[in-house]
Amino acid sequence: MLFEIYDPKAAPRPIGIDLGTTHSLVAYVKNEKPFAVANCDGEILLPSVVAYDASEVVVGTQAKKGAAEHPQSTIVSVKRFMGRGADDPETKRLGPYDFVGPVQGDANVVRFRVGKSRVVNPVEVSAEILRELKSRAEEELGRIGGAVITVPAYFDDGQRQATKDAGRLAGLEVLRLLNEPTAAALAYGLDKKQDGHFAVYDLGGGTFDVTILLLDDGVFQVKSTGGDSALGGDDMDRALAEDMLLALGWMAADNTKANSLTPHAKLTPGVVRVMLDKARDVKHALTLQESVEVSMPIATGGETTLTMTRRRLNELVAPLLDKTGTACRRALKDAGLEAKDLDGVILVGGSTRVPAVRAYVQKLFGKEPLADIDPDQVVALGAAIQADLLAGSGPKAEVLLLDVLPLSLGIEVGGGVVDKILPRNTSIPTAARATYTTQEDKQTGFEVHVVQGERELVRDCRSLARFTLKGIPPMPAGIARLELTFRVDADGLLSVHARETTTGIEQTTLVKPSYGLDDETVEKMLMDALDHGEADLVARRLAEGRVEGGRIALATRKALATDADLLTEGEQPAILRALAELDDAMQGSDPAKITGRIEMLDGATKAFAGRRMNRAIERAIGGKKLDDVSRTVATARGVDAHVEEHRR
Amino acid sequence: MDPFETLGLPRQYDVDLAAAEKTHRELSRALHPDKHAAGGASERKDSLNRAVAVNEAWRIVRDPIKRAESLFALLGTSVGEGQEPKADPGFLMDMMEQREALEEAKASKDAAALRALATAIEGKQRVAQQELAVGFHNGQSASLVGKLGELRFYRRFLDEVSAVEDLLNG
Repeated sequence: MLFEIYDPKAAPRPIGIDLGTTHSLVAYVKNEKPFAVANCDGEILLPSVVAYDASEVVVGTQAKKGAAEHPQSTIVSVKRFMGRGADDPETKRLGPYDFVGPVQGDANVVRFRVGKSRVVNPVEVSAEILRELKSRAEEELGRIGGAVITVPAYFDDGQRQATKDAGRLAGLEVLRLLNEPTAAALAYGLDKKQDGHFAVYDLGGGTFDVTILLLDDGVFQVKSTGGDSALGGDDMDRALAEDMLLALGWMAADNTKANSLTPHAKLTPGVVRVMLDKARDVKHALTLQESVEVSMPIATGGETTLTMTRRRLNELVAPLLDKTGTACRRALKDAGLEAKDLDGVILVGGSTRVPAVRAYVQKLFGKEPLADIDPDQVVALGAAIQADLLAGSGPKAEVLLLDVLPLSLGIEVGGGVVDKILPRNTSIPTAARATYTTQEDKQTGFEVHVVQGERELVRDCRSLARFTLKGIPPMPAGIARLELTFRVDADGLLSVHARETTTGIEQTTLVKPSYGLDDETVEKMLMDALDHGEADLVARRLAEGRVEGGRIALATRKALATDADLLTEGEQPAILRALAELDDAMQGSDPAKITGRIEMLDGATKAFAGRRMNRAIERAIGGKKLDDVSRTVATARGVDAHVEEHRR
Repeated sequence: MDPFETLGLPRQYDVDLAAAEKTHRELSRALHPDKHAAGGASERKDSLNRAVAVNEAWRIVRDPIKRAESLFALLGTSVGEGQEPKADPGFLMDMMEQREALEEAKASKDAAALRALATAIEGKQRVAQQELAVGFHNGQSASLVGKLGELRFYRRFLDEVSAVEDLLNG
């Protein structure tokens, strides 16, 4: 094996991370090809398992080994709990954890008790996994740049926000949250260079997604997406485990109620963990064999040998597959297509190795699905490609991902009904406005309740945030005008702005997620996580400043070379001076100085950048009504003042 | 904002959607934040705002109801809740009958009858859109508002058919 010599001056390399339910991995691009990173034992997949013991935190294979012995201090499949409330039904399903309820005034997030005095939330647990991947990447690459982290396309706003928080907590610069199916399509699309409509069927450990997209001349345009953020291989394991627990007397079916199981008095969290692990092994074995024999503990003591068949597994997973079929049909319909219009179907996620799943997909779409890129790696490889594109280091200038909002966004209006403001499958980033009025005379406040989902009633949708716009002067009912602006960024994250227009009162209200952690909490957690607090933080800021400064300097030099004719008199010397000053600051060790010089360069190039964008618009629109177009596109900037990066 | 201008389209109801979609894609290629991720703060902000405007414009233009609403607004005719004239009684009567037929087809799980109802409404929808196209072309505005109400009604009806069909298909 040849070792590459580590060059301390080499540009930091951007990375792509698949933060999965059952396992996670990190990848990067070298010479235009994506590669997954292995640890020193040659393992690429890191089990998404985090074990907490008295003195340390263990992530991965070692943690997984101890899961049966320490079922409550070992967190498995934490992704299922990301961005969920403590009262969410997901937290009450078959599982061994010791959940802690929120104390009055705390954010409504899931909390696991993992030790006598230690309570952690899913963002912290996920950050441990990300830290492990980060150190793997650093070991292989030396310096790493920003990261693209993938999320299921069907993740809602709360789940996305939690993922981004975990990235920040792990000390990563999160360049983008990328939808997993889109990442997979990117990995396949660049490989095959074929245009057309594709379906991506992504059945992972804990989530199911289907995405229909159009590949056209380098643009990957998502047409529709659908799925279930709580359906995956884990559910197959759980169905199998329940079947085995019943057969072994650990559980009894309640005949008076459907789907109701009564646990045996001796059923402990440890037994549940063992059974879930055995179920996973059985599932894997049945991928290759028709039947398998396993030795299992029985409730009354001792062991017995149980024979499990592929046929029984197929029966158990059939209802789960039917759920995926419903989502696929809806996604096709939303895209205005039929199965026969598709040019290909891509399989993603380890669970698509199950023969019943492949057979089902083939029947559903009437096509042999593509699975020639490892379904466990394809998402991370696609994320690495996107990270490379975003860092501007790749030559693939024509490639662009156009993604959509997966679930409709709206607000609660009278009678607990949802008024949809942004429908699902809208291209992002985007914005929409809606106007409401008061119901009662002399009403001085507006209660705004933001929800996400497709159902008509608020109680069937996900509650994202509540806030009140106050200080409206008393007026008769129906006179006040409340204008709400919803804005969704390229990560699929929402911000809401409200103002009352008739009185000229302008009030900015930023949405604080009702599920999740506020910025202050994340900052505090970040400080706590750093070993040497302040000193570490300065070192990190310096590294980040150098990465950002280097990136902007490079982009500026490129722009000067390609669009020199757009420079006005005296502009070029000013830009060159700002560049030299930035270079100078990056040689030093003061992060604040670098930030200041970046801002100065930004000021010097602002007008030039605007002219370059106008030129790009002219080219895109084919010379028609150029001035008008650039003018209207440029006027749509009224909302930034208030939503500006409030999530940061 | 004027979504027609943003997408470089003439301000009319009749839109070549395939061509507009192509323009949307090309504008996205030029303006999407991913294309400016390496730039400075003002360039990133500028590209985000412009990409938002382009996507918003395309969302309005591609939707026959939002497209009409936007044209009315640009022509100075107020539309929206409580600002439109009451629907024609004959039209309402007709729609009540269609609704009853929908309820019957739903109760008897008659997929063929459902499809036939949807096809009839889709025909009416096309006619109303044609009338809007001609009307806007001839410089009419306020007299066309009723057509917008019709389109909204047809959409709700077709959404309901679609929901029932999903239910029947499992």
